[in-house]
Amino acid sequence: MKPIMLHGHERAITQIKYNREGDLLFSASKGNKPNVWYSLNGERLGTFNGHQGAIWCIDVDWMTSKFMSGAGDNSLKLWDCQTGKEIASISTNSSVRTCNFSYSANMAAYCTDKALKHMCEMFIVDTRIVDDSLGSAEPILRIPINGPRVSSLLWGALDETLLTGHENGEIIQWDLKMGKKLNSTKKHTHLINDMQMSGNGSMFITASKDHTAKLFDSDDLQCLKTYKTERPVNSAAISPILEHVVLGGGQDAMDVTTTSARVGKFDSRFFHMVFEEEFGKVKGHFGPINSVAFHPDGKSYSSGGEDGYVRIHSFDQSYFEYAFDY
Amino acid sequence: MAKKKVEDKNSENSDNTKNDGELSSTEEDPNFSDPEDFEDDISNEELLEDLLRNKPEETDGVESVIVVDGVPVVGPDRIEKLKSVINKLFTKFGNIVNEYYPVNEKGSTKGYIFLEYSSPLHAAEAVKLTNNHKLDKQHTFLVNIFTDFNKYEKIPEKWEPPTPEQYKGQGDLHYYLLEPDAYDQFCVVNGPGQSVQIWQNTQPEPTCVEDRQMWTQTYIKWSPLGTYLSTFHKQGIALWAGPNFTQYKKFSHNLVQFIDYSPCEKYLVTYSPQIDTDNPDQKRIIIWDIRTGLEKRSFDPEGPSAWPIFRWSHDDKYFARMGNEILSVYETPSFFLMDKKSLKIPGIRDFSWSPTDNIIAYWVAEDKDVPARVILLEIPNKQEIRSKNLFSVADCKIHWQKSGDYLCVKVDRYAKVRKEKNEFKYSGMYYNFEIFHMREKQIPVDSVDCKEPIQAFAWEPVGTKFSFIHGDSPNINVSFYGIRIGQAPILLKKFEKRSCNHLFWCPTGQYIVLAGVGSNGGSLEFVDTKEFLVMNSTDHFQMSDVEWDPTGRYVVTGVSVWKTKVDTGYWIWSFQGKILKRINQEKFAQLLWRPRPNTLLTDQMQKDIKKNLKKYYAQFESKDRMRQTRASKELIEKRAALMERFNEYRKSKNDEYIENKPKRLALRNNVDTDELDGDTENVEEEIVEFFIKEETILID
Repeated sequence: MKPIMLHGHERAITQIKYNREGDLLFSASKGNKPNVWYSLNGERLGTFNGHQGAIWCIDVDWMTSKFMSGAGDNSLKLWDCQTGKEIASISTNSSVRTCNFSYSANMAAYCTDKALKHMCEMFIVDTRIVDDSLGSAEPILRIPINGPRVSSLLWGALDETLLTGHENGEIIQWDLKMGKKLNSTKKHTHLINDMQMSGNGSMFITASKDHTAKLFDSDDLQCLKTYKTERPVNSAAISPILEHVVLGGGQDAMDVTTTSARVGKFDSRFFHMVFEEEFGKVKGHFGPINSVAFHPDGKSYSSGGEDGYVRIHSFDQSYFEYAFDY
Repeated sequence: MAKKKVEDKNSENSDNTKNDGELSSTEEDPNFSDPEDFEDDISNEELLEDLLRNKPEETDGVESVIVVDGVPVVGPDRIEKLKSVINKLFTKFGNIVNEYYPVNEKGSTKGYIFLEYSSPLHAAEAVKLTNNHKLDKQHTFLVNIFTDFNKYEKIPEKWEPPTPEQYKGQGDLHYYLLEPDAYDQFCVVNGPGQSVQIWQNTQPEPTCVEDRQMWTQTYIKWSPLGTYLSTFHKQGIALWAGPNFTQYKKFSHNLVQFIDYSPCEKYLVTYSPQIDTDNPDQKRIIIWDIRTGLEKRSFDPEGPSAWPIFRWSHDDKYFARMGNEILSVYETPSFFLMDKKSLKIPGIRDFSWSPTDNIIAYWVAEDKDVPARVILLEIPNKQEIRSKNLFSVADCKIHWQKSGDYLCVKVDRYAKVRKEKNEFKYSGMYYNFEIFHMREKQIPVDSVDCKEPIQAFAWEPVGTKFSFIHGDSPNINVSFYGIRIGQAPILLKKFEKRSCNHLFWCPTGQYIVLAGVGSNGGSLEFVDTKEFLVMNSTDHFQMSDVEWDPTGRYVVTGVSVWKTKVDTGYWIWSFQGKILKRINQEKFAQLLWRPRPNTLLTDQMQKDIKKNLKKYYAQFESKDRMRQTRASKELIEKRAALMERFNEYRKSKNDEYIENKPKRLALRNNVDTDELDGDTENVEEEIVEFFIKEETILID
């Protein structure tokens, strides 16, 4: 089916996210207004106005009541989904690069960038009651990160652990009760761009600049599978209904101007989750793909690219009929 | 006890000998001799180890002495100067501990000297490197080890036949031709000297035969019949052969960069374009006998010239090189000039040997009113068997057909010429092909004209067709011509507006790949020239190489790290253009199929095979199918195992998930969100209207 093209951003898309039911699709770009769309027809529901810099990360809680965005204007803002009004803003020392609501949405975690005078730090804040006071309240936990900065962030399944992916390819599991490192692994050799949970939270998939995506067990960080490509992988997602994963990426945005679009390989690439074999690709973007997400019902997926477009693709019947022999 | 005894005895003995002369008549000596049944159970080595170590050996002294003959004869006044010259030259090899300059009664030297080194090794080195050293025009050193004089003086009168050396087998150098399924081998070089792999192109998956790190320092080259693999090193060339690619020969030539085999693999030419600063006397071109590993002759070419400088006749009997207005033809195995002199050919510009006969084709440039000429010369009788005059010639290219049946000379012609600063500027260019029918009486010549610039030309290796790419971008066309006896070549087919710049014929003819090679290229067209059917039209972006396997069954396209940094690797295609395998490999540099010698089957036998192809077809088809099913069975088994393992893992995780349900409910205010539509209470129904299609119907 013909994809729905969402053109509400003037700059490169940084992250896209569905809410739990999948009726809404949130998108953020290097412009300063995150958007929210109806995923069914691509109609824009609204924008969140207030940031002054590039939006690096967004998340929405499970009830679709609160929306969160971290930006290059050194702030993390929380919004009311229903009205689109800003309800809290936390100012930070440097850009907010990653943010994530916990399973219960009672807490949220975010990480700041390593900047000139400031080191990378991870914060956990209480988001049960969100109002103006949040900006001045002490965080529940504040962990300075010595060494490579955090480039992606994910809550463990039951609000007990946090997973961070770092710019050197390392993944660290944190114990929240103790505020300490629990476990770590370094299977990637370059920056981890993105991490996404599987439906039941038992596994997560990483996307790395080292041209691979990997599937990990979220309890013991064991590397289960590796999906290889020839280009940096910027984002990866796991299908909620089939044994499929989708990878988005392409030649670095920096290098694209010097090479023709053909070399870039800006395709969404589908792999079988268990056999690690590629079985399909979807063309369309004319720049690298920065974020991919499956609709929670698994019948469509979306991709957001450096070209500023979000594309919603509904799968054809043949996608569901295609099966590997085994 | 024994030790003491012997010592005693020794000291006593020496005393004895000392005293023998003077004191023999004094007191009677006590008897120190051993009892008759005494057995000496200790060896001298054990007993006198510390002394024996210093025992003088015959090699000390004389073996370190060298005799230098051919030294200038000088009077006493200049002897010091001579000594300093000699010292400068000979101290390079080691410390000279002693020197002796024999002089006659007048005090002048005798023309030979003796030098003693501190070690025989230094002496040997000096002999090796200074023998035949030219000091100046009149004086050439003849250097020998002193002991050699002894050796050669005492040559026994009676000749004894040498004992034959044990025969050392080399193993089967042609084992790869006995592969029952006729799988071909190819070798892959990764990165600059990183690793070299030899693969067997087995179906359905190629198998790695050999994988070695740092096998070569630059690239590799197969010999023309595929027997040897040559690797390049700073010190020279190494040849590898046999089932395990064991080292077959080494050819020491410092800084070698180019090599060339003679067509029958008898000789190897190595060329080092740079002068080796450590060893300035080394020749730049050396011709070796491959089987014995011996140097046959060496050359120092003057000025830069196109490699290969030496071009071989098809049977290894002759090789030739072009000089200034001359063509030098050498004979093997003597390696002397044929008839002791070079052929004088004023204005010779290029030459080429026929691939099947001892015929040289060369062309001579225009000189004022004398037209340019293409000449066919038979060797060794130096008879001109055909010549053709050509007017207004800017350049010529000689293309022999691989079977030697035809020769094509591509002629670039001009309408006007201007001379500008010693350079000729041509304008109004047009082109034509002169086709020589080699197998017909008197060698008739046909001509094909073309107004557009020619990008590439290629003969069908076996058959009667030739093809060329012509035109300016973007109007690039490919034309195919056919040749018949007694007729001018006829245009068979013209493909218009193609994006190719190279032609690659299948080694057995009929099939051709039109390829766009280079950084912006990558287009590929597989064409069957029987009916000029385009079998597949596809691409491999930025491809830098196209290689047919020697049997014409497969084509490999490669993107080499030497040309570009991204997406390097090689793809294997069938001859119809079906993609079989994509191997993307970082640092992939070079892929070369192992060549095969020409078939031993006669034309008749080959025809019979073609006639009965149906019979063989069925056999091969079933064999292929079996292999395919075996492979897919393996794959399915592998997948099933993976799936089973994964399902096990997932089940354990699912159990955990179900166990954790109360925890989840607690975290989300007892709202069940495990299923997408599990939560029915908090859902608001919303009706969205879609605008699907608009139709406007005009009613008049």
